[in-house]
Amino acid sequence: MECTGFRDALLDVLYGEAEPDTVRRVEQHLKQCRSCDDEMAGFRRVKGQLASYTLPARTLAAPRSRGAWPIGLAAAAALVVALGGAFAYARVGALEARLAEQERRHGRELDALRASLDVARPALGSTAESALLLRVEQLLKNSEERQGQRLEASLRELAGRSEAQRRLDLARVRAGLSYLDGRSGHQAARTAELMGYVLQAAEKK
Amino acid sequence: MSTSTDEALVEAFQGGDLAAFDLLVLRWQRRIQGTIYRILGSEDEARDLCQETFLKAYRSLKGFKGEARFSSWLYQIAVNLCRDRMRRRRGRSFVSLDALGDQGLRPEPLSREAGPQQLAEQGSLRGLVQEAIAALPEEQREVIVLKEYQELTFLEIAQALDVPLSTVKTRLYRGLVNLRGRLERQGVRDVAVLPAAHS
Repeated sequence: MECTGFRDALLDVLYGEAEPDTVRRVEQHLKQCRSCDDEMAGFRRVKGQLASYTLPARTLAAPRSRGAWPIGLAAAAALVVALGGAFAYARVGALEARLAEQERRHGRELDALRASLDVARPALGSTAESALLLRVEQLLKNSEERQGQRLEASLRELAGRSEAQRRLDLARVRAGLSYLDGRSGHQAARTAELMGYVLQAAEKK
Repeated sequence: MSTSTDEALVEAFQGGDLAAFDLLVLRWQRRIQGTIYRILGSEDEARDLCQETFLKAYRSLKGFKGEARFSSWLYQIAVNLCRDRMRRRRGRSFVSLDALGDQGLRPEPLSREAGPQQLAEQGSLRGLVQEAIAALPEEQREVIVLKEYQELTFLEIAQALDVPLSTVKTRLYRGLVNLRGRLERQGVRDVAVLPAAHS
């Protein structure tokens, strides 16, 4: 192109990025300069030819997990965390309810036993019998305390097992995604690294 | 797909919303993969580097400050990965016949009498264009691909490639000159003429 000063403006016009003043200036120049006019026509031809370079259908297809970004990776990991937590919570809740029901039943039985003792108490006269009564009441109290301790221990154990299960589930997701995505160990390692970032982010929440 | 802007999704991700990144991937994956494919000419490499692009983006997005557009930043990652790959391939032919595999064709010079209809029927034009792009110097190929197929503005390309605006236009100009000359030598002439562009 002989008119180097017009080169940038010509490209702006060619690609529709020129201001109206620039368009007018270039059009005026093209009317007067055969070389630039031929150049512009040649570039327009090339642009038309470049449009024939379409992508293969495979490349245009919807992203697949194999070889493509595992869509929903972050969401999948976050969902497992959330589901694991929700499941654990539901399990804890159900067990808590059962234990609470057992405690209530136990309490009712104890109350019934106390009521029986209260009825029987006036009839008890001797010291030995009163001592026996005190002993029975103490046993009842000890039983209540042990029941409470067992309930607490059970809940702690359940929480620990739920956490372990959650981590196991996450590890399975990680292994599954790596298998789906990893065509090579390097890719699997990259996927695992990404899972690590996701897990860190989830745990920080 | 979400109507949120890229910037809004980036901000959401930086605020801890992991799903926002998935939306960015869905929005940009095809274009990034298409760009890489046209620069490298290989479907397999395009898939690999596309994934690598988003992995790098995921690692770095927390620190993205929004000085450039998100798309420019993403293209920059993709182009740099392509450059790394091309450096490793130095000395080998850049032309990949992946896209021609289905057609079972290699691009051949056409006779000067071949008209547009014949070219289209033979399916050779696409192959000739692919070969011509592949034969460009890397820096011209990058600009041609980003401008012609991703329709980035000159400014966006400058940001993606981290070069001055004038450099983008110089490379584009030389790329178009080279393409025109090569396609004309291959016998491709009056296939399509675009109407004059209006700004």
